[in-house]
Amino acid sequence: MKPFDNARKINNILHRDLGYFFAALIIAYSLSGIALNHVDEWNPDFVITKKEISLDRGYAKDEITASSIGRFSALAGEPSFRLYDFPSERQVKIYYKNATMLVDLGSGKGTYEQVSRRPLFYQVNVLHRNSVEWWKWASDLFAFMLIVITVTGMFMLRGRNGLPGRGKWLIAAGALPPLVALVMQQL
Amino acid sequence: MPKQQRTLHFTGRKPATARLLLLVMMLFTALAGCSTKQEPATATGPRGPRKTAVLLVSHGSPSESWRNALFDLEKRVAPEILTSGSVTAVRTAFMEYAEPSIATRLKEFDREGFTDVVVVPLFLTVSPHSFDDLPTIMGQKEDPRSMETLKLEKIERYKPQAAIRMTPLLDFGDALRQNVVRRARALSKHPADEGIVLIGYGDEEYEKEWNELFVKVGQAVRQETGIDALTHGWCGHIVRYRPDSTTTAVNRILKHKKRALVLPVLVAFDENFQVRIIGGGIEKADGGKERVSYKPDSLLPDPAIEEWIVKAVKTEIETLNAKTRP
Repeated sequence: MKPFDNARKINNILHRDLGYFFAALIIAYSLSGIALNHVDEWNPDFVITKKEISLDRGYAKDEITASSIGRFSALAGEPSFRLYDFPSERQVKIYYKNATMLVDLGSGKGTYEQVSRRPLFYQVNVLHRNSVEWWKWASDLFAFMLIVITVTGMFMLRGRNGLPGRGKWLIAAGALPPLVALVMQQL
Repeated sequence: MPKQQRTLHFTGRKPATARLLLLVMMLFTALAGCSTKQEPATATGPRGPRKTAVLLVSHGSPSESWRNALFDLEKRVAPEILTSGSVTAVRTAFMEYAEPSIATRLKEFDREGFTDVVVVPLFLTVSPHSFDDLPTIMGQKEDPRSMETLKLEKIERYKPQAAIRMTPLLDFGDALRQNVVRRARALSKHPADEGIVLIGYGDEEYEKEWNELFVKVGQAVRQETGIDALTHGWCGHIVRYRPDSTTTAVNRILKHKKRALVLPVLVAFDENFQVRIIGGGIEKADGGKERVSYKPDSLLPDPAIEEWIVKAVKTEIETLNAKTRP
């Protein structure tokens, strides 16, 4: 066996096994990447469920007591509250175990809001944002391994389907979109 | 003007252990009242002799110049706060991005035996940060959205043993108005030909309060500088940190006036805000930089704000003393 054949064999094994090993993480990061790309259009981490509440009438701040807060809470289906507080002269915010209600006292309109984690996306975003303290090291290793997977991928094949053949043209074509974006940003 | 409320209203229902604890405490208090010797009430609290610290809390930023402005503020207000003798430590904490975090500082205070901490929130006006995140971090509230977000952003929550008191926000009092008027005067050359653009962070949930604040500050500037055209724009999350709101606000003024004076109403200087977002917005405005006077400065440093902080702390200490006085 030629020395190059041996190197290519190791290269291909590395590419295959690293690909298998990091498959779950590649998919998780890709999903999270799409989710975080659109962070301006949606909340990728939480599902915020809102319900509009109408009080019987408008209220003044000095009319608000624990008893009136209890009545407002009942309208949202909350049997009890944890505490309430006034963000401004015109508003009262009521806190529950897993929800809050912000009431505009003057208009008597309130918004009841429940927060829950967006399944799958919350978890992949936790990884992508390095929300676990030590994960950034795992994340660095993963990024390095992605480079290894990519480079080994370039050298898997010989001939017209390898790097000297169509490979070089596809690499050049793939480099074009980011280059165009960078040029456009400079204009 | 909205004022940060500092009284939290808890539900009347108390858990059984809390009721038992309350009963024991009442019994203890009654027995203590029978004692003939009494310590001076202003010097003692439930955790022994009172030891009070002041914590200047701000949002935090990846920008070093932003953080340095806040550390400088601490250096400038600390001597005067400490001269009263009632406060023995003045420190700075950041809500996010950098250490020292709020939890770090509160742990320090607990280790050093502080019984009371007066928190000075260096936030312009009401927002989820000042109203929910800050009290949630310090264990005063449990806002569900804040708790989830803090966890995701690795912001540690810590409920200190020391009692927490919070001063009002920066919009309470006159320091903000004075600051903006002073900076507007410094930029103005021909008031009749000029209009002012105030750029603030903004907030989606409390947009009405932010608008009211900026209109009120704008009116004061109008009265004191003679510049009659005013508008404002946002540069924070509400506009997704984009410069367009600045551009639109500048263009609104340039439609009627020869020059626009742009004033960032932000706590400190951050390259991302004053240069990239606001500066970028000005570059895109009609007529470009030539028709705009802009100094990428901030509310800090400002002696009026420093004075306001000292006064706010003094008021809190007086209230604290009055509460424990027999």
